[in-house]
Amino acid sequence: MTSNSVLDRVEDTGPVDPPTVPPPSTDPGASRSRQLWRRVSGHLVLGLTALACIFPIYWLVATSLRRPDDVNSLSIIPWPLSLANFADAADAVDIPGLMANTFLIAAASTCGQLLIALLASYAFAVYDFRFKTLLYLAFVGTWLVPYQVTMLPNYVLLNQLGLINSLAGVVVPTLSSALAVLLLRQHMSSFPTELIEAARMDGRSSWSILWTVVVPNMRPALAALAILLFINSWNDYFWPAIVLQRSNDVLQLGLRSFMGTEGNQWGPMMALAGLACLPVFALYVVLQRHIVNAFVRSGLH
Amino acid sequence: MFVEAPITPVTEKKDLGSPVTPARRDRNLLARLRSSSVPYLYLVPALILLVVWTYRPLVQAAQLSTVSWNLLPDSPIVSVGTANYRKLFEMPDLGDAVWLTVVLIIGLLPFTVVLPVIVGGAMRRLSSRGSRIYQGLIFAPFLVAPVAGAAVWRWLLDPGSGVVNRVLGSDRNWIYDESTAQVAIIVITGWHLIGFAVLAVAAGLAGINNDYEEAAQLDGATRRQITWRITLPLLSPTLVFLVLMTVLLSAQWTFPLIDTLTQGGPARATTNIYYLLWDYGFHTFDAGRSAAAGMLLFVGFGVIAGALVWISERITFHDK
Repeated sequence: MTSNSVLDRVEDTGPVDPPTVPPPSTDPGASRSRQLWRRVSGHLVLGLTALACIFPIYWLVATSLRRPDDVNSLSIIPWPLSLANFADAADAVDIPGLMANTFLIAAASTCGQLLIALLASYAFAVYDFRFKTLLYLAFVGTWLVPYQVTMLPNYVLLNQLGLINSLAGVVVPTLSSALAVLLLRQHMSSFPTELIEAARMDGRSSWSILWTVVVPNMRPALAALAILLFINSWNDYFWPAIVLQRSNDVLQLGLRSFMGTEGNQWGPMMALAGLACLPVFALYVVLQRHIVNAFVRSGLH
Repeated sequence: MFVEAPITPVTEKKDLGSPVTPARRDRNLLARLRSSSVPYLYLVPALILLVVWTYRPLVQAAQLSTVSWNLLPDSPIVSVGTANYRKLFEMPDLGDAVWLTVVLIIGLLPFTVVLPVIVGGAMRRLSSRGSRIYQGLIFAPFLVAPVAGAAVWRWLLDPGSGVVNRVLGSDRNWIYDESTAQVAIIVITGWHLIGFAVLAVAAGLAGINNDYEEAAQLDGATRRQITWRITLPLLSPTLVFLVLMTVLLSAQWTFPLIDTLTQGGPARATTNIYYLLWDYGFHTFDAGRSAAAGMLLFVGFGVIAGALVWISERITFHDK
């Protein structure tokens, strides 16, 4: 996983102009100053973009750490630091409960999607069967069906199943992830068939081949996909908004209700928003490479 | 549909234990049937869920689009034929929403295509370590939960004490002003998505063989010529992918922002087609009209996506 990351490839192909080939009509001095300018302008473009991207996040964190009296301050560095905003947010909503619910939903959804997609992609990657292309297209085709088109019948079904306002109701409709199936199939297709053939000759069942040969070799890909699915599910808003209309039991909805009811209490709101992002950012800092790779490979998010 | 990305070839060979002994094959019908059903068995869970949560509701939405119903289990479902569609075409709602969706998608393209290409180009000029730091920072907003993004932008854009207005010295209410609400939604969505698009462009650029550019340079091509005639055409599959992503996923990304910030307002200025469906379904409880608009959206979506794929197969330039 480390040897072929995108960032490494950027490094390989490198930004350096071949020094042996000066542009025909310019003298070396001009060429050097142009190189310098290219470098400076590169830093300028990237610096400004990065600043614009990171500033709102920084401001979120900074505001949440100010003393309640200083929330409106424009000073860049929040000083003196205070956790009062977090305490206020904790008074208004049940933060540990929301965290636990959100984690439960994200974990259940991730495990379910991973398992179901693993089985499906195994069939697609290893077997030839009738209607294979058609069935595969059925998965691809889900990209063309926005949730908003199917939400009413799904809402009605969830209602009939008694899953409205329950955590299971948020998880169940998301379990079949086309993204996971397509990605895993892509990975499994590059799995050497000789290995599978050899195991089959050995008399192993296809079920045991999946778990003893294929899965152990796909651990990095599975881990990357798991992270991706977990983040998606943690940040998901649409299904919780439909299913948990009355209870606001997950972080995203808790934050929404907070925005509605507590008016403009910016300090506690930023504290809660920061907490809603914290686990994902913690994952990102620890596993940055894997996450970046997972997103690049996913193609479609 | 996928960004071409290198995939780790599996190098670690598993020790498969005992020497190979060919398994005896049962030739009776039952066994053959059993073995031919194996792939379907693996597919069953995923397919059932796919049918139950995507294709069944799609069919049911088509049926719902011909009835009048307020979503309550006890209330009657009255068949009305094509009345829902006729009403949709007579009222300005749908046209306005479609127009806002088009504006939204076009407004997002600078964030999902143009800027990422400029940023990707700039990254190539720097050392890998430098560009990696920038990339990490630019990617961060993609991981921010949409509702948290909505919260922090509402704070930044607050008319009284928000940073933006205090720096600009204005007191404009960006999110609740009819003329700027849609722009605010576009900028916030663009902020969320740009990091992912930059990543895709970086991957695309990394996949381009440097030999072409070196050869062109040897032939005396200028930077500009190399960019426009070599790099961008070779990058075209990535660019088409990003356009497709913008069209297909603008719904998912704008929905939480609109629902938490503007609820489609002010004066419907942010009610794009996806939000219109939500509004019909869960605010005015008109299931039939919501489903009818959904069917129109689905068909329109299919046509646009098909057209994009068709175009991409003709214009993209493959390095193969």
